[in-house]
Amino acid sequence: MQVHSQSLPQLSPALLAKLSQPKLTPEKIQERLSYIIEKDRVPDDLPRRFLEAFAAVLQHTNYRQVIDNYARIPARCANCSCACQIYQQTHDPKDVPCYRSNLLLEAYRRHFTLRGIVEGHLKGTPYLTDDLILEMAESYYHCTACRRCSLECPLGIDHGLVTHIARYVLSEIGLVPRALVISTREQLEGATHNTSAIPWAAIKDTLEFLEEEIKDDKGIDLTFPVDHEGAEFLFFAPVSDYLMEAETLMGIATVFYAAGDQNRWTISSQFLDGINYGLFYNDWVLEKCLRLEVDQLKRLGAQKILIGECGHASRSAKAFMKTFGGGKKAPPVVNIMEYTWRAWKDGKIRLRPGAIDERVTYHDPCNIARTGWIIEQPRELLRAFCSDFVEMEPHGVWNLCCGGGGGTVSVDEIRPYRTGVTGVKKAEQIRATGAHYVVAPCANCKKQLREVCEDNGLSDVEVVGLHDLIYRALILD
Amino acid sequence: MDAWIAFARGPLLKIALLTMLLGLIRQGLLQVWEISWAFHRAGDQVVPWKLAIRRNLEWLLPWRYLRRKERITYNFISFLFHVGIISVPVFLAGHVAIWRESFGIGWWTLPPALADWLTVMTVSAAAALLLMRLGHQASRRLSQPQDWLLPILCAFPCVTGFFVAHPFLNPINAQVMYLFHLLSAELLLMIVPFSKLVHIVLFWVSQPSTELGWRFPPGSGERVRATLGKGEEGV
Repeated sequence: MQVHSQSLPQLSPALLAKLSQPKLTPEKIQERLSYIIEKDRVPDDLPRRFLEAFAAVLQHTNYRQVIDNYARIPARCANCSCACQIYQQTHDPKDVPCYRSNLLLEAYRRHFTLRGIVEGHLKGTPYLTDDLILEMAESYYHCTACRRCSLECPLGIDHGLVTHIARYVLSEIGLVPRALVISTREQLEGATHNTSAIPWAAIKDTLEFLEEEIKDDKGIDLTFPVDHEGAEFLFFAPVSDYLMEAETLMGIATVFYAAGDQNRWTISSQFLDGINYGLFYNDWVLEKCLRLEVDQLKRLGAQKILIGECGHASRSAKAFMKTFGGGKKAPPVVNIMEYTWRAWKDGKIRLRPGAIDERVTYHDPCNIARTGWIIEQPRELLRAFCSDFVEMEPHGVWNLCCGGGGGTVSVDEIRPYRTGVTGVKKAEQIRATGAHYVVAPCANCKKQLREVCEDNGLSDVEVVGLHDLIYRALILD
Repeated sequence: MDAWIAFARGPLLKIALLTMLLGLIRQGLLQVWEISWAFHRAGDQVVPWKLAIRRNLEWLLPWRYLRRKERITYNFISFLFHVGIISVPVFLAGHVAIWRESFGIGWWTLPPALADWLTVMTVSAAAALLLMRLGHQASRRLSQPQDWLLPILCAFPCVTGFFVAHPFLNPINAQVMYLFHLLSAELLLMIVPFSKLVHIVLFWVSQPSTELGWRFPPGSGERVRATLGKGEEGV
């Protein structure tokens, strides 16, 4: 029986007292979690705090109804294991999505349903222990939240959603990868307002440098529009593009130039980073980042949010802008690939057939393709100027994750795991295509795929963005 | 014995059916209520209901998993098991006769020979599902006691029912077998709302429930932090 009401059951003092008995020392916790915790911020009373955070999350969000459903129906058929590239690599039952989800679902069942509470009293032991919470933290950050397994569950369980909820609860007790929380702190509270802590002056220099590069390459005078009021699109790219993916930005700017849409887009100097790690670990962060985007949109009088080549930035804006940006009045969200494809379809830009001779393949970022949002547009563009385009198998909605999804790519400490476990199937997939260029329209995927190729003997493969190649193929009159 | 059978066929059957029906109705209504409440709180109320329902329906037919390389046999057998376990109890002529007798309602019935084959198929499928669960490392390790018990509990009324329908094959006393059939079926009906068999109703709302799970109430993050006393804290 489920405890139904809009307020949750009070956690009994006796239970909380039982949960408060610490079993692991802070040093042990620090050692086991290593990257999933900030140094010297080891929380005490883990089970009690986890349960309080879980109760608060269930009370204020829409997760309880779905957690309750999932806790009752699992078939434990392991169909999801067929879709999980991590399990396919390790064959460890702990990597089966259903096993991972059950860690949280069982905590719900034991502590938030009448039957579970009675069962707990009869057994005399609470379900949650320090060890179990540490296992959850490790397990939920081993998952790349690619949601491929959700396509395989006959009962409709979205294990990606369970991972999202579990990470949210864990983050509220301080268990979140250091790399993510430090970047987010800088983005939301730091002086630079971006996850890489790049001062605006440095970004401005970069943009000027890129303008010169474009002039040298293409012979055109192009400026990156900054703080132009009244532009249609306000552009948010992952800030790392300004440091590491210059060609992607050059490609995007040149597409706007070629389409005659120079005045239709702008970048905000105050908040330009599309990265939103909230999608990976905390709904409060997710909302804060999106509200900052909306604030800039209002400040500059723009109409639409335009997201650069970034999977999670695109999904977090596309899927949640209505929620946090004003419901039906929320600004539309457009991915740059949609804009470019439309410009090409309308004949506003032209691409030189055969501009790229080498074999090219396309990697579908999970956050863009898993729901079927953008699949054909980039392929149509690539086929227009690549003489040898081949598909990976599987691709589209069924694509394999790069292996660094769910924010794990930002954690350098786990590179051996990312490239030696989660990314191995991707490496095999890329190798099978024989492609020279792997086009990945996502900053996270690009970083991960480069490391995957490097660590898996694919030294001939070059990982690029879609607009990197479009930049080379654009016909400029 | 006759008194036992009369009790099992009369009041106990009604209690079992009522337990199942009320339990399922309660679970279904609560889930619909929870989903409605979630919808009411969601900042984004554009929900692709049709798509969500379609995703549920897609799993009713086997084409979805025929496209992949793994576990095709398991899933196909599971499909056959579901066909049998639903069609035989509902459309068996003997069962419909009881409905007519007890409640004055009835419907189309299966030809006896087809019902026999479906029964054999269901029992075989239950056995195969158990063996395949045992043989699949991930599924075996994940399984809980009810995952092993339920296929047996589902198969038991089928086996006993088959012998009731074919007395010349029945190895024990016909009345005892009939009592076993009634009691095992009633036990199964009664545990439906309290086991994973509750997916009979919750399956239909799992995809809409997921959709609502991804639709957040605006400001929920702030309220969670306030509840936890972290209102003034930074990231």
